[in-house]
Amino acid sequence: MLLRPILSKLVRNRPLNSPLIQNASRVFSTEVEKLEETRPTVRKPNPVARGQLADFGKYVAECMPKYIQKIQITAGDELELLIAPEGVVPVLQFLKDHHNAQFTNLSDIAGMDVPARPYRFEIIYNLLSVRFNSRIRVKTYTDELTPIESCNDVHKAANWYEREIWDMYGVFFSNHPDLRRILTDYGFEGHPFRKDFPLSGYVEVRYDDEKKRVVVEPLELAQEFRKFELSAPWEQFPNFRNANPASEEVPTDKK
Amino acid sequence: MSQVTKLTTGLTGLVVSKNPHHTLGILYNKIMRTLQNMPEGAAYRKHTESVIKERTAILKSTTDVASIEKKIGCGQIEEVIMQAENELILARKMMAWKPWEPLMKEAPPNQWSWPPVQSRS
Repeated sequence: MLLRPILSKLVRNRPLNSPLIQNASRVFSTEVEKLEETRPTVRKPNPVARGQLADFGKYVAECMPKYIQKIQITAGDELELLIAPEGVVPVLQFLKDHHNAQFTNLSDIAGMDVPARPYRFEIIYNLLSVRFNSRIRVKTYTDELTPIESCNDVHKAANWYEREIWDMYGVFFSNHPDLRRILTDYGFEGHPFRKDFPLSGYVEVRYDDEKKRVVVEPLELAQEFRKFELSAPWEQFPNFRNANPASEEVPTDKK
Repeated sequence: MSQVTKLTTGLTGLVVSKNPHHTLGILYNKIMRTLQNMPEGAAYRKHTESVIKERTAILKSTTDVASIEKKIGCGQIEEVIMQAENELILARKMMAWKPWEPLMKEAPPNQWSWPPVQSRS
């Protein structure tokens, strides 16, 4: 009630009645102001750091040509060494103890399952160099039967990480001091992170009122398994048809 | 003995070295002797020798620990000693591994391709 007279007075006082001024103000309002973005949300690539990473990748490949198959940089600034499975311990030891590397911290060991490949599992070691504030990733491959040598002698942190890989993927690590399950329940069968492991698992658990305890039974699905065709007939992301590749290889001179 | 000026390195488990100059010199000599057994063309030998030679030259130029630390620029002298010990162990292991040989085996085709190649086509 109080506001209305004030507002109407304000509107009446503005010189918008002339059509010329109205047009001019519309033109001004559509103009885009070009501001320098001071807080970009996307991390900008750093060519200097990238060059250093590529140089270090070449350096390692030159020092250990026996094991290193490929060097690549992914996601703009992440260096990856792709090695033969026999070279896990030598390469990790080199990266840990060499003066110019000193990757003394094993941050994580990850696994990956791609059933279409002849060697379906990838084992991925993430390393951190506290001295040079730098990270590196070492990848190798194996299948269900081929054991990989445990790097527990190089990095003590590998003990539980390798147990985790064994539990989730069923990759066997030779010379591991204590290779047991670590995450799954007692009596669990199978390796849950494999692509052929069903999402529902193989068994279900319920409380039985007559037996007065929890019983484990084979899974019974109330509905037939249905397979949905989810692929659309049109292209999903045409703008990204020619997007940058996921990784870029660093050229190394092979002997 | 006379050079011990600090009480602690400030790092857990790393004690102050009694005679760092002497220890470091011995370690660098051992590393150099181990590297002599590697083939001439090995890149690992070449690069490690250049690092060790550079540090040995710094070591010979002065006996003042603080200035050695500053010139090497890789942490306290105890850390530098530890790096040298690691390099010595690595060099001895390298003699067994022989990583300067040519690539032992190529990756299977499409092993490293991403996104993965589909088997049906």
